[in-house]
Amino acid sequence: MIGNERATERRSDGVTERDRRNSLRLSVPPSLLPALLAVLAATTTAAEPTRLTTDGLLKQRPAWSPDGTQLAFTRHQGATIFLYVRSADGSERRMTKSKDPEFDACWSPDGKRLVFAFDKTVPNQGDMDVHSIAADGSDLQTVLASPGKLTHEEWPSWSPDGKRIALSSTRDGNQEIYTVQPDGKDLKRLTSDPAIDAHPCWSPDSLRVAFATNRWGDLEIAVVNADGSNLVRLTDSRGFDDYPAWSPDGKAIAFTSYRDGNPEIYATGADGKNPRNCTQHPGIDNFPAWSPAGELTFVSNRSGGFEIYKQDLAAGAKP
Amino acid sequence: MQIAAPDLAATRGVSYAGGMLSVGSQATRTGGRMSRRAALRAGALGVVGITLADLLRLEALAAPPAQPAVRNTAQQPRAKSVILLWLWGGPSQLDTFDLKPKAPLEYRGPYAPIATSVPGIQICELLPQLARRADRYAIIRSLHSTSNDHGIAGTIGLTGSEAGGASLGGQVQPGQVQPNHGAVVSRVLGFDPATPRFVTLGGHLHQGKKPIRGEGGGTVGSLHDPFRLDYDPEAGVKIPQLNLLDGLSTDGLVSRSQLRTALDELTRQVDHSPQIERLDQFRQQAYSLLTSPAARQVYDLSLEADELRTKYGRFRFGQCCLMARRLIEAGVRFVQVNWSSHVEPVEDTGDGGWDMHDRNFQQMQDRHAWMLDQSLGALLDDLQDRGLLSETVVVAVGEFGRTPKINEKAGRDHWQQCYSALIAGGGLKVGQVIGESDAKAEFPANRPLTPADLFRTALHQIGVGTTQLTAAGLTPLGEVIEELA
Repeated sequence: MIGNERATERRSDGVTERDRRNSLRLSVPPSLLPALLAVLAATTTAAEPTRLTTDGLLKQRPAWSPDGTQLAFTRHQGATIFLYVRSADGSERRMTKSKDPEFDACWSPDGKRLVFAFDKTVPNQGDMDVHSIAADGSDLQTVLASPGKLTHEEWPSWSPDGKRIALSSTRDGNQEIYTVQPDGKDLKRLTSDPAIDAHPCWSPDSLRVAFATNRWGDLEIAVVNADGSNLVRLTDSRGFDDYPAWSPDGKAIAFTSYRDGNPEIYATGADGKNPRNCTQHPGIDNFPAWSPAGELTFVSNRSGGFEIYKQDLAAGAKP
Repeated sequence: MQIAAPDLAATRGVSYAGGMLSVGSQATRTGGRMSRRAALRAGALGVVGITLADLLRLEALAAPPAQPAVRNTAQQPRAKSVILLWLWGGPSQLDTFDLKPKAPLEYRGPYAPIATSVPGIQICELLPQLARRADRYAIIRSLHSTSNDHGIAGTIGLTGSEAGGASLGGQVQPGQVQPNHGAVVSRVLGFDPATPRFVTLGGHLHQGKKPIRGEGGGTVGSLHDPFRLDYDPEAGVKIPQLNLLDGLSTDGLVSRSQLRTALDELTRQVDHSPQIERLDQFRQQAYSLLTSPAARQVYDLSLEADELRTKYGRFRFGQCCLMARRLIEAGVRFVQVNWSSHVEPVEDTGDGGWDMHDRNFQQMQDRHAWMLDQSLGALLDDLQDRGLLSETVVVAVGEFGRTPKINEKAGRDHWQQCYSALIAGGGLKVGQVIGESDAKAEFPANRPLTPADLFRTALHQIGVGTTQLTAAGLTPLGEVIEELA
């Protein structure tokens, strides 16, 4: 019988007796085992994602309630695009009874309201407002409407301190990032560039806003202070980086990237360093979000139809 | 064969003297002496959509009863079939197959070009599946049309001619509407009692609420209109021809067919004209296609492996691409897959086709780009795996492109001056780019080509050339693109 001490005694080539026995079982040359283990460690990124929905219909922008018990998302069904809220028991409800498209919701930090984009088709197409509604579906209010011409106010994102809502708008002739109070007052423009600026999200301290922009060529993630100052570039990759989502602990920003040739969810440090591919799947992975507990949530067609998944990132996969 | 969608409401409204015959919720009368016109209505305004107007048009045309196929004496066809992916609304050339990363920011858009399997050819990063298959298709980057109105440009795209096309404002171009390219194939190859030559997957094309002209037989007659099918992700295969009454499945069609036969018998009693007999033949074909077990298998997508259906995409356009493959496999010679029925959408987030005046980039990255990428990529793979790609021409194109300069709503408007098309398979010389656009993709820089040239080339590959067109009484439109053929 080989004792533990002998089993772990390292030979001159760095291989222990335990390695040798394990390698026999795996049919791997003992000398390659350390390298193999290193590769396995590097590629082990996360537990398998958990599938939350099963209908297969196209979905976008999942958003967890602050207490983590409800998940809002947008579902395309036939020609309709509506908001749904899914409870922990799997039941779902529509947020409104409107026949017009409603989509891309975000929760208020107290969990009492949602803010979302509303595409009113009457009297004109091409007119999109931001509305808010109580979590029980009552008390629909307009947050920001078009300023007398056809514009798009969309992708609202409620600041964690509850004081402002970031969104994109074409009201000034180009798609820019703005913030506004939840009551629709005090609209402020954060960006001013002929590029497309889109999909704002807040840092947990409500001091900064991450967004996507093509001002440097293709789509990249940038961060700007909530007052519009100090705009910095966060990603620098060839190709599409979009839909940033700031993690609850403030340390990471998840985003969709095509840098590996198909849409994957990446996460980078809040300083833009150490980007990691969190999903690593040949399917389409898109619309990242975080649960309050820090689980990555996204939409993927890896099972055929489009479903919402939740994934607990392994330590090695976190930026 | 008349295979246009019927006006079932008209059917419901028909009433005749005599006894009552109930058909589901439908009420018609039999018995008694009918006038010839009433008999025609009884036989004509039925579920297969033979209309009185069609009958009268037939009579006026006085076409030879059999309208035989035009013999191919001039050339050996290299392919058998054409699949047209009709990207209704007009995709942006700058965000699909003709990126201009060096153009000014206001033009180039946010997407990066990516390398393809063919050195030197780049396409949009949102189309990675197509990038990996660039050796199977050619890209034309110098198409141009003569109208930026969906109605007229749609007619040009689908027929090669603006004749009879109607604009959004109601202005109609001079001349008779020419036949759809599929109808040309149907006319030249001739009527086949077993299989329609021309099938359209999707509903009638509209601009707003105005129907588009050029989807059907045009000057060769409604006998060569397309047979229509569609697919709904939740309801499955749909047969717009029937516009089935609530609760009536295709299983019920047999009895309806029997009813039609009874009604037709009345028609025969009052008129034995050759035209009526021919229409019976066409109607019989339609019923056969809809109800016979063998025919129903053609459009039963559940017979396909789940894995393959998923590869095409579990959404309408993807499943219609799969249906297109099944149809050409079954002998259909021209299949047109409509991306959508509508343009100038009443909302900005759903499927108003590729008509992205608003939120062009949002819609591209959220829906349209990956849908086209997945479905067309799967179609090319599937055709190749089955040995069908070499005998099937695949065309993906819209009626025009989009304005190179981005508008103030992050959208792009209509642009007919320069746009792109993809053409694959069918013995064509692929893995190349035909024509170039200028620095902003505003105008062709060289080799300007038209939609008529594109489809002249596609039809040439399946043996529908000058000889056949002329023999069928048609004027050849456009020129074969020599670099491809």
